[in-house]
Amino acid sequence: MTLAGAAAVAIGALLVAAVLFGVVTVVGRLVRRAARNRRARLAAPARRLLVRLAAGDDDETLIDQLVAVDARTWKAVEPAAVAMLGKVRGEAHTALVEVFQRRGAGTRAERDLHARSPVARARAAEVLGNVGTADDVPQLVDLLHDKDPDVRVVVVRALGRIAHPSAAGPLLASTVGPTPVPPPLVAHALVRLGLAAQVDVAAALDDPAELARATALEVLGLIGAVGSARQVEFALRSDLSIEVRLRAARTLGRLGTRGALAPLLEAMEPDRPPALRAEAAHALGELGAPAAAQPLAALLTDAEYRVAHEAARALLRLGAPGREALSASDSPHAREAIGIADLEEARRGALAVAGR
Amino acid sequence: MTAILVADDDEDIRELVLFKLEAAGFDVTAVDNGVSALEAARDQPPDLVLLDVMMPGLSGIDVCRALRAEQATAQLPVILLTARAQEGDVQIGFGAGADDYVVKPFSPRELVSRVEAVLARTKA
Repeated sequence: MTLAGAAAVAIGALLVAAVLFGVVTVVGRLVRRAARNRRARLAAPARRLLVRLAAGDDDETLIDQLVAVDARTWKAVEPAAVAMLGKVRGEAHTALVEVFQRRGAGTRAERDLHARSPVARARAAEVLGNVGTADDVPQLVDLLHDKDPDVRVVVVRALGRIAHPSAAGPLLASTVGPTPVPPPLVAHALVRLGLAAQVDVAAALDDPAELARATALEVLGLIGAVGSARQVEFALRSDLSIEVRLRAARTLGRLGTRGALAPLLEAMEPDRPPALRAEAAHALGELGAPAAAQPLAALLTDAEYRVAHEAARALLRLGAPGREALSASDSPHAREAIGIADLEEARRGALAVAGR
Repeated sequence: MTAILVADDDEDIRELVLFKLEAAGFDVTAVDNGVSALEAARDQPPDLVLLDVMMPGLSGIDVCRALRAEQATAQLPVILLTARAQEGDVQIGFGAGADDYVVKPFSPRELVSRVEAVLARTKA
């Protein structure tokens, strides 16, 4: 065969392969779409019942009707039911949970936590997060070290929804190690545990891992754990990690305790890292203590841009004493803060004129 | 009949809010995006608008601001429905001119109470 002939055959083969690939792709999509539509048609009557139940319809037979739905239909409607669980609370949520429990979904989910497929494990964790109790926490905690990162994420969220304090320590520990979970996700789950988890979260301030300590501090601030304020102050003053001290400063601002003033003022001293000084200035604004006005005013001309900038913004939040200090300063940061405050006032005035 | 416009891109939420509010005696129109919500509110201003915050294109916050900026819709009571529960998010919602802020997951029964309360407040 000549070179031109071989090239023609190769091009022809490529074209045939491309056409075949296209046909397979299109047929695959059509088959999937048809299956989706079939499932939707099958699920439609049960889905209508679900919507009524999730909307809090008073019809007492709804739960029985959903429990009586055949297994094939339930399989089609279950994803919608799981999704619905995460969207409502109160009586509507309790009613949905009852449907899952009476259909044995909890028992099936416990079994599927050990399935080979990561999708099955994740789905089981999702179901347990919605219908599970404190008894399911140990099994879910084991899955915090699942080899699949997506499963770990679902497990963290599930533990947050069950909201049992015994999950606090394992959740914080999951931020480090060979199979870590992103700290913001862990923090979000811990916040759902609320103040009941305060002691366990505060215990993580002694954890050797910097990330665990930083996450614990963030959570303590978000749940308003004023009972742990002294430990947070200690972290601000003596932790070796700058990241942890930054979080400690932010948390003290959020907690708003009287004792936070002194450690935050110390953190603004000139020999401290600029990032920490700026964060402490910001936190003093959050704290809203008029006694911080003078020390913050002294920072308006600081050589570090972010320190002076945060000091000006913090003074604005202090109200009259802060505004007075800003007016007395000719620092560009002070002028900028006043300008922004004036604009905001003008906007509010305009809204008031419009009738709001 | 009191007319309520609901905008949410989540079909489940849209359907259950529609069902609950209709069962409570309201005349409900539901749309699945912010642009349609704004158009519907301009064409036929309802008595109250219930907006999801995170919608593709125009968010609930954007719609709320746009409604407040126009004379014909500036007075419309607006309730934001959102999964964003942080203090800052709530502040942004009220800053945009919302009358109330309902956090997901929500209680359908409580939602109806809030709708009734906002309507009573704004009609007073």
